[in-house]
Parts: sequence; C-alpha cells; structure tokens
Amino acid sequence: MTDMERTPDTSVEICGVKFKNPIITASGTFGFGKEYAEFYDINRLGGICTKGITKERREGNPSPRIAETPMGMLNSVGLQNPGIDGFIKEDVPFLNSLDTVVIANVAGKTEEDYCYTVLKASSLDCVKMVELNISCPNVKAGGMAFGVLPESVEKITSAVKKHCRKPLIVKLSPNVANIADNARAAENGGADCLSLINTVGGMAIDWKKRKPILANVCGGLSGPAIKPIALKMVYEACKAVKIPIIGMGGIMSSDDVMEFLVAGASAVQIGSANIFDPVAGLNLINELTNLMKKCNINNVREITGSLVI
Amino acid sequence: MKDVKLKLTRKKTLSEGVLEFEFFSDEKLPQMHCGQFLHLRVGGEFLLRRPFCLYKYGERSVTLIVAVVGGGTKRMSEMKEGEEVMAVLPIGNGFTLEDEHKKILLLGGGVGCAPLVSVPLTYPNKEYVSYIGFSTANAVMFEDEFSKFGSVTVCTDDGSTGRKGYVTDVLREDIEKIKPDVILTCGNTPMLKAAARLSAETKIPAYMSGETRMGCGVGACLVCACAVKEKNGTIVHKRACVDGPVFKLEDVLL
Repeated sequence: MTDMERTPDTSVEICGVKFKNPIITASGTFGFGKEYAEFYDINRLGGICTKGITKERREGNPSPRIAETPMGMLNSVGLQNPGIDGFIKEDVPFLNSLDTVVIANVAGKTEEDYCYTVLKASSLDCVKMVELNISCPNVKAGGMAFGVLPESVEKITSAVKKHCRKPLIVKLSPNVANIADNARAAENGGADCLSLINTVGGMAIDWKKRKPILANVCGGLSGPAIKPIALKMVYEACKAVKIPIIGMGGIMSSDDVMEFLVAGASAVQIGSANIFDPVAGLNLINELTNLMKKCNINNVREITGSLVI
Repeated sequence: MKDVKLKLTRKKTLSEGVLEFEFFSDEKLPQMHCGQFLHLRVGGEFLLRRPFCLYKYGERSVTLIVAVVGGGTKRMSEMKEGEEVMAVLPIGNGFTLEDEHKKILLLGGGVGCAPLVSVPLTYPNKEYVSYIGFSTANAVMFEDEFSKFGSVTVCTDDGSTGRKGYVTDVLREDIEKIKPDVILTCGNTPMLKAAARLSAETKIPAYMSGETRMGCGVGACLVCACAVKEKNGTIVHKRACVDGPVFKLEDVLL
C-alpha cells in the first residue's frame, strides 16, 4: 500500500475509554444526539457529550438567549434540561442504541445536587464518562460559582469523585485568574481528565434601544473568536497536570483540531460549529482523516503534545 | 429536515427594505408544508444561520420574503443571482387545519403576511378571508397573492390606502359578520397581543407563527425558547424551531 491509500488511525483512548476518533460533540450544542441523527450517522463521532443535566428539571433563562458577535456567538440558555429522571426516561433509551462514547455532563446548585446527579448518571450503562460542569456562566447559583476559585474546584471535585462510577472529567472555566491553578486543583481533587474551555463571559448591547441583546444581560461567548484564548489555556493546563485533557473553543476545521492536539489535548470537543452547521461533526471527521493522509500522519495520538517551543 | 444546496435564481424588491428571493435546487426537495421555515447560511462574516418562513415552494424551488433588519439580512440583500447557499429545510410544525375549520381568517401584519400566503396552497378546499395591515401605502405587499384565494382587506396605520387603523382594530369591527372558524396570524408582537385579545373575546381559536432569535434550528441548542402555557397552567419553554414555530395564540406568553 502507498501512504495515500493507508487509512490513518484516528482512535484515541482516554482513562481507559476508547474513542473512534478525537471528535466529541460539546455539551449544550448537540442536545442528547437525537436531532443530529436525522442529518448523519452520529455513531461516526468519537463521542457525544450531553446537554448539562441537573437533579431537577430546569426551564432555563428567558429569551432572547443568543446573539451573534464577530466570529462568534453569545448564549445564555441557563441549563434548560429535563432533569436526571427526565433524561433517564426520555433520552437514555436512544443513547443506549448508539455505538459511540456517551459522556454525561452534570451541573447543580449545591454539592449535594452534584453528587446525587453524578451517582445516578454514572450508574447508567450508556454513560462511559461524566463531565462535571462547574463552569456555566449563565446560572446564578451553582455552575461557575464552584469553578472560579481553585479551593472550590478541588472541594467539589473530591466530593463528586466519591459518587462517580465512571471516569470523571472536570470542565474548566476560562473566567479565572490562573487556569493552571484550577487545573491542578481539579487534579488534586481526583479528576481523571480535564476539559476546557467553557464559554468566555461576554455581553452584547443594542445601543439604540439602550438594552442588552440577551434577556439575561450577559452570556457565554463561543466560536472562532475564542480559539486563541482556548489554545493558550489548553497549553497552560497541559503543562500543569499529568491527567489527559480534552480541548475545545472555536474549533471549525481539521486544522483547528490539530492545533489543540499539538497544544496537548488528547481529544477535542466541537461546540458552536454544530450550531452553525448540522453536519459539522461528520465533516470534521472526514476532513481530519484526509488531512492526516495528506500530511503522512499514521496515528493521531502522536500529535498530542507535540508542540515545539 | 435536510441540509440542501440552493441557487438564487431571482431577487426582487417588494417594498423598501423587503425583498423576495427565489431559489432552485438541483435535487428534489423534501415535502414542505405551509408555516414551516428554513435555516439559511447567509455567508460572509456571519456564522449563525438565519431562519426564514417558506413563502412559496415547489418540488425544486423555494421562495422567501426577507426584511432587511440587521447584518445577516443585509448580507442576504447583497446576494447575486446564481449564488449558492446551504439551507436546512423544512423545519417546524407549520399550520394545521382540521376538517371543522371551513372558514379561515388570515391575519397578517407587514412581512408577517408571508407565511400565510401558502396556507391556501396547502389547504385549497377552504374558504379564506384575509386582513392584512401595513404602516403606509408604500409598504403594502401581497394584496394580489391573498386576492387569489378570497376577499382581502388592506389596512394602513396612516390611512393612505385601504382602511385606516391597525388591522386588528379593523378586523374587530367586522369579525361578527365574518364568523371565521379559526384565525391564523403572523406579525409583530403588539399585533399578536391584539389578536390574542380578539381571539379570547370572540372565542375563535387562533394560531400564530412566532419569530425568535435562533441557534441550531434543529431542536438541539434550546436558544429559541418560547414561553408557553401548558393545559395544567404551568409555563414551559418550548423550542420555537421544532415544537413551533406555530403555537396556539392563547398559550403563548407574548
């Protein structure tokens, strides 16, 4: 076989969980998968990270919840979700039918809420990993309140870890003083893996009306606008900890995927790109394979952390 | 729902800041229904798609009405004939008429008239009466379209043509005579609020097509939340994209 004919190995393994490729859809941008299954075979994905799940059902914030900003978007959904019991009843049967890694994203208002939901979610067969959402900027109680100070990151991580029956990913906020400190805090608390970054706090104003565009006033910025911030934070977090890292923030192309892997990520999550284009996930997988062929890369794992300074 | 490639074949100005776009597709398009919409990638610097209701449609064509209100629609207005765009279609529930709905009142305000034009195309064997309102004579559109299916009453806020006053106020004067079985409506929020009052007073059921800022357009991201009252009185957030865009008017918190 010539190099051009060989199919490159895109598989990755994180905390003993095998992914077909490093492309995972990010929480909040992919629902529970069902909607996108109408557009392509979502089993092609490395994994799916669910919408943030809380103990009780949540209605979320008032509308408008979205605003387009230069090369990005602001959202303030506010963790609207059916609650863990609604999730189990309405969405788990579909997730059970999938042949891709399902990661349950869990959020909460109190430490007890987090522990309760993490135990229930991590006990499900279809859930292979849990992602702890301590970085949602759009809810008053909980969410980011746990994710700003390194002490609270460590405390919530170690509390949740005791109730988590699957590998625990802690999703970090970029709205912090020093990302390396928070990465170390999560690792010290017992995190098996980190994912970053969540959205960057932001605001959009309609000056003629003298009003914010989002009903919730402020929201979280995502999309290509935040990619340089995300790359820097992934790079810094990778230097600070030994556990694997899933990188995200504005990934739109296979070159973007490679940049995050080079910075040290073992896999990536695709967020806003799903919102801009319903087939973004599939396109990225195909693009990545083609890019690897073109650049004679046989194994995607050899890219992780290959940055030369 | 399908992501399809559309080619702009015709663009014309209907009134100031309102354009009609006709697109063609090489492949046969999925079956569409009145009141549904598409989610179009306008291109340029804009990443989020823009939702537009289906104005007219065929096996390989779809026509949209676009009001230039912001950057995305301005970019659309600059599109050239022959240009290609991607669009997810058809999306949403659309308008549904039951057998007992024999006489239909179409109530439109401004560009909000657009989604109502295809209702008689989908349900040809009904009686239609249309009331359409605009700010002034120069802004009047769609009169010819509605007159194909029945009587049309044009209203302008300033009385420069047709009957003077808000379309909902004019309709209020006439509704006892018309006695429609159902009202289908689309327009700005003050008009919808007035229509909701009229529907409540006359006990004539009304359905509205709503508009909200949208994200994915396929039901996943939950940004297009619309506050809707359930039968038991609780308020829930429905997705305007796939649970709507048509809701029973009395259920929506406007």
